[in-house]
Amino acid sequence: MRVSFKLNGRPVEVDVAPNELLINVLRDKLKLTGTKYGCGIGECGACTVLVDGKPVLSCLTLAVDVNGREVVTVEGVSEDGNPTPVQRALVEEGAIQCGYCTPGFVMVGEYLRSKKRAYSEEEIRSLIRGNLCRCTGYVNIVKALAKALGGG
Amino acid sequence: MSEHVFIGRRAPRHDALPKVTGALKFANDLEAPGMLIGRIYRSPYAFADIARVDVSEAERLGAVVITPDEVPRKLFNPRLVSVDEVTYKDHLILTKRPRYIGEPIAAVAAPSEELAQRALESIRIEVERVYKPVLDPFEAMSPSAPLIHEEIMKGDQVLKVERNIAARLSYTEGDVDKAFREASVVVERSFRSGKRYHMQLEPKAVLCVPEPGGKLTIYATTQTIHNTRILISQLFDIPESKITVVKVPIGGSFGSSIQVNYLVPIAVALCLKARRPVKIAYTREEDMLDHSNYVFHMRLKVGAKRDGEIIAGEFHNILDIGAHQIQAYPLLGTSLGWFVSMYKWKNIRYEGVAVYTNKVPSCALRGYGAPEVQWAVETVIDELAEELGVDPVELRLKNYVGRGDIFWGQGPTVRSVIKSDGVPELLLKGRELIGWDKRGRPEEKKGRFRRGIGLGRGFHTSGAGGPISGEVIDFTGAVLKLNEDGTLDYITALQDHGGGTLDAHVKIIAEELQVPPERINLALATTENTPYDVCTHASRGVFVGGEAARRAASIVKQKILEAAVRLLPMAVNPEALRIRYDPAREDAVIYVEGMPEYSITLRELARKVWQKNWGTIAAVVTYRATSAPPSFTVYYVEVEVDTWTGKVRPVRVVAGADVGTPINPDMVEGQLHGGFAMAWGMVFSEDTPYNPETGELANRFLITDYKIPTAQDLPRLEDFKAVIASTKEPSGPFGAKGLGEAAMNPAAAAICNAIYNATGVRVYELPVTPDKLLKLIKEREGPA
Amino acid sequence: MRPSAINYMNTHILPSFEYYEPKSLGEALELLDRLGGDAKVLAGGTDLLVKMKTGALRPKYIVNIKRIPGLRYIRLEEGVLRIGALTTWHDLEEDPVVERFPALADAVKQMGGLQIRVMGTIAGNLCNASPAADAAPPLLVYDAEVVLASVKGVRTVKLEDFFVGPGKTVMQPNELLVEIRVPAKGGSSAFVKLSRTSMDLAIASAAVYAEFEGEVVKEARVALGSVAPTPIRARKTEAVLKGRRVSEEGLIELLRTVSEEVNPITDVRASAWYRREVSRVLVYDALLKAFERSRGGRA
Ligand SMILES: Cc1cc2nc3c(=O)[nH]c(=O)nc-3n(C[C@H](O)[C@H](O)[C@H](O)COP(=O)(O)OP(=O)(O)OC[C@H]3O[C@@H](n4cnc5c(N)ncnc54)[C@H](O)[C@@H]3O)c2cc1C
Ligand code: FES
Ligand code: FES
Repeated sequence: MRVSFKLNGRPVEVDVAPNELLINVLRDKLKLTGTKYGCGIGECGACTVLVDGKPVLSCLTLAVDVNGREVVTVEGVSEDGNPTPVQRALVEEGAIQCGYCTPGFVMVGEYLRSKKRAYSEEEIRSLIRGNLCRCTGYVNIVKALAKALGGG
Repeated sequence: MSEHVFIGRRAPRHDALPKVTGALKFANDLEAPGMLIGRIYRSPYAFADIARVDVSEAERLGAVVITPDEVPRKLFNPRLVSVDEVTYKDHLILTKRPRYIGEPIAAVAAPSEELAQRALESIRIEVERVYKPVLDPFEAMSPSAPLIHEEIMKGDQVLKVERNIAARLSYTEGDVDKAFREASVVVERSFRSGKRYHMQLEPKAVLCVPEPGGKLTIYATTQTIHNTRILISQLFDIPESKITVVKVPIGGSFGSSIQVNYLVPIAVALCLKARRPVKIAYTREEDMLDHSNYVFHMRLKVGAKRDGEIIAGEFHNILDIGAHQIQAYPLLGTSLGWFVSMYKWKNIRYEGVAVYTNKVPSCALRGYGAPEVQWAVETVIDELAEELGVDPVELRLKNYVGRGDIFWGQGPTVRSVIKSDGVPELLLKGRELIGWDKRGRPEEKKGRFRRGIGLGRGFHTSGAGGPISGEVIDFTGAVLKLNEDGTLDYITALQDHGGGTLDAHVKIIAEELQVPPERINLALATTENTPYDVCTHASRGVFVGGEAARRAASIVKQKILEAAVRLLPMAVNPEALRIRYDPAREDAVIYVEGMPEYSITLRELARKVWQKNWGTIAAVVTYRATSAPPSFTVYYVEVEVDTWTGKVRPVRVVAGADVGTPINPDMVEGQLHGGFAMAWGMVFSEDTPYNPETGELANRFLITDYKIPTAQDLPRLEDFKAVIASTKEPSGPFGAKGLGEAAMNPAAAAICNAIYNATGVRVYELPVTPDKLLKLIKEREGPA
Repeated sequence: MRPSAINYMNTHILPSFEYYEPKSLGEALELLDRLGGDAKVLAGGTDLLVKMKTGALRPKYIVNIKRIPGLRYIRLEEGVLRIGALTTWHDLEEDPVVERFPALADAVKQMGGLQIRVMGTIAGNLCNASPAADAAPPLLVYDAEVVLASVKGVRTVKLEDFFVGPGKTVMQPNELLVEIRVPAKGGSSAFVKLSRTSMDLAIASAAVYAEFEGEVVKEARVALGSVAPTPIRARKTEAVLKGRRVSEEGLIELLRTVSEEVNPITDVRASAWYRREVSRVLVYDALLKAFERSRGGRA
């Protein structure tokens, strides 16, 4: 099947089989490897992308399902090539260790930022519980998101 | 910290931007033209003899297939760290006698994962015999148990295995029986830990590319490119010079790639047969079948005099190592090392036995047994303090192994004298911060929700170096060269698992040469362009690797000064010159001492050295550390136990670390945060239990049922306090030691002691799920 | 000995299937009628695709209902909350009307992680019929109903009668759950869940709906999750609670009836013993939470 969608702001068209998953189409066919496989069953959040602005797990999304939609991956969040406030905060707060989980946290952070409201620490912790990180104990990730989201 | 310009300064890591933008490529992100995707056919039985592997259908589907008969049949050990004579070898690349569910039997490669999967599913095996799996180490040691291995190799000697005992080690010092007779208080307890899985976020992956001239290039998730090369060379009889292993970023490891992961030789075999690039990327489930840690069955007995002087320690250690040896024998030694280096037992008896079972082969998991041993020791010490009626902090201060004492964390053959020791500072500061003296006694605590404070103290070594060669290989190397524009290329085989090791190296070089860290390029490292490094293990990255980097920098510095003498003719010799960072010029400036007007920047110097045909200023260093000093850590943890449900909530944490000079203070804190989180999982949820009948993982390999803590399960920001001791390690680069593993080691003990302080319940078996804890609480309180 | 299924699991990819993407409800119902038991409905996919990857299910046909217009809504009409088949957990999370159903709001907050809530539907949660489904206990205490449509027409089933066993409902293969109906009531309610970590299925969960007069329970409805082959109502306990004071000493002891009403199993998440022990604690906690809420004046 031919699907067309907007990817990181640009229209794309790809041929996919119905059983192809968005994560594999992004990584293998469209060469956007920033989106990571960590489990394939929804548990880790490393594969998070935005579909129509909302954070979705690309490992549990059929590629045909994004036909006509707008997809943003970690490669596409930057603003005119500059890192976003979420990305900057993650860098500055030492929230990145091995970095394998990072794209997933960036995507959730971007979604929360798009809501244009402040989040408490408790809310942030609850909203990122679908993203696992084995290195950081989340401390600096929470700090970074609190900073970027103007934590209240 | 003001004595240093770059060290101790908080700075984002060099690879933060590529990581946060998704640009950084991990092994699974790589591809090569014409690449095939490999999949591994795994044993569906825990213990069986396979007569035949039928791959005809897979081949008909167009897949390239390898079976046990088509790969080298040499016994090997995937972890090269012990010297040959004590390396136990019992692995085959592919086996007809699978010894755990998931052991590789065959492998396929096809142009797409879907086709590879179809080929995989078409493989049929003819089973000669299926044995009932042996899953309990005590059962395994009974004379009637079937032998999981009959013969293995130790070095080049054939070894007959008896009663499934893979290796053993015993040790005595002093007269233990006499000491116990003389002791006024003796505490004896048994402990069992869980079989934890590393759950590093990146499942293992490898890409193997055939090159012209019979060469191979391998990109793999590994902690050691050099050992990967050596092993592949040995297994396939290919000279090392024809194999290049490239260092690629790794998405966390925690010990899981301390050995060469099984997919690497399999990918090589597929690649050699297909003569095309082959990539294998594990699914999460396969990753869980590739590595998990050892299960410790420990019995500890300690004795002390009335005045609190400890006089005897006995440690009986049965290790359930799973189906193969990766580093079971060295672990028997390090377990002993963890034990003896905790307290001055004076009289010691140790009996360590490593036992085969039909489980996933065990390997190191952040701390290589130290979290388990320190959990047991710190629990027993807590009990001892209670029996003696002394403050647990005081008892520790009185008896711990500290400055001036002999330390041999990594086992009996790696001993050295402790030269830096922040334990008193951390114990006393933490005690204040947590409010230790107001913690109360368990008997006084009533009601449904009860709070308690616990203490755990421990350490990890910085590497496995020592003054004599011993049984462990541990040395490293570094290459540093000054480029023509005054930037530098730094090349090291050492891997950064995420802890910021290489950023520490860069800062060390920056400090030595007084150049800004941004000017130092962490160059692509391969086995071709780096001296040997054993592995990034045992928290040696900063202490050992950092010192190699410093030495390289120091050689380069000397050469810079020598060149400068030729460019600043007023200086009589290099000794007359100094080098310092000049923020205005954002460069290192070489100047005549006392006469700063005679100076040259490093940029100018580099350019001139080039233009004048003086050659390249560079250094190649290979370095062996003669000690492996302990990094001490101290955890004070407050928890709240819901005595109706057995659920425990973290309330506050004070995490103290003695890392010598903190090269990257923010990364030190990051390690503590991560270490505590991992300990929390170790205590409450992390385990991979087996179905006793089938030998299958009860969670069916799914992380849905391997729970690690989330952000919501851990303490709030204001409730986690990191304390860094102000010490300096004389043998480390700029006074630094390691941290990675120490950051976690004693945290589990602190949590368990806190549970005791809240409820009066001692935890002797991990993980203590709410289920188990509730049972313990009910047993203690009697029927309601 | 039964061989392990390890070689038939691949969480990188999905096994192949024939794919349908109906553009209307009518078309979907026709398809389901035609394809029969070999077809699976795909909504958020957070249950279905996981089962396909792990080899638990290999459906021949997939009917993706996500492009059917008009199935995604939350409406409070004439005292009934209507939730469409494609309404996600996150839709509920974002809609203030859910605050009027606090037990449901509690469940929304504790369900999965953000991404799972963005993808997963409430209807899918019910149709998947896990004993641990977080939507079930709250909807049971609200006496919710589900509307099932097929080419033959539409029928309404009480949620209590909907679940048959683990993964089993009264739904026929040709039926689609099109709407969930939740009557709004005047009392107070709450849902509590116990799990291994904050991102997990319930070890056990409980919802309570109650009407209080001062401290006295006038009317109570109790439901539990993950303690029996299906989510259950605990009617004996409801009767026991009637007329009791929430501050009554020994209330937790009275709730022993809960432990009699549940029929749990031992699995990887917890033992049957534990589930039995904590189920009454969960009911107790939910009751007290509902009571606190009633004093805050919110239903
Ligand atoms: C990581 C993770 C965490 C989770 N956490 C939780 C949790 O905390 N609590 C919880 O309860 N669940 C949890 N789940 C399970 C799952 O997310 C929920 O059950 C979700 O609500 C399912 O909805 P869905 O739309 O994704 O269903 P799908 O997967 O699309 O469908 C589920 C089943 O219902 C059928 N179906 C779906 N819609 C209809 C319909 N309208 N008519 C007829 N049949 C239909 C499908 O054929 C399928 O059999 C979790 C899942 C994952 C992967
Ligand atoms: S890979 Fe998608 S959630 Fe883990
Ligand atoms: S930084 Fe390694 S998993 Fe998060």
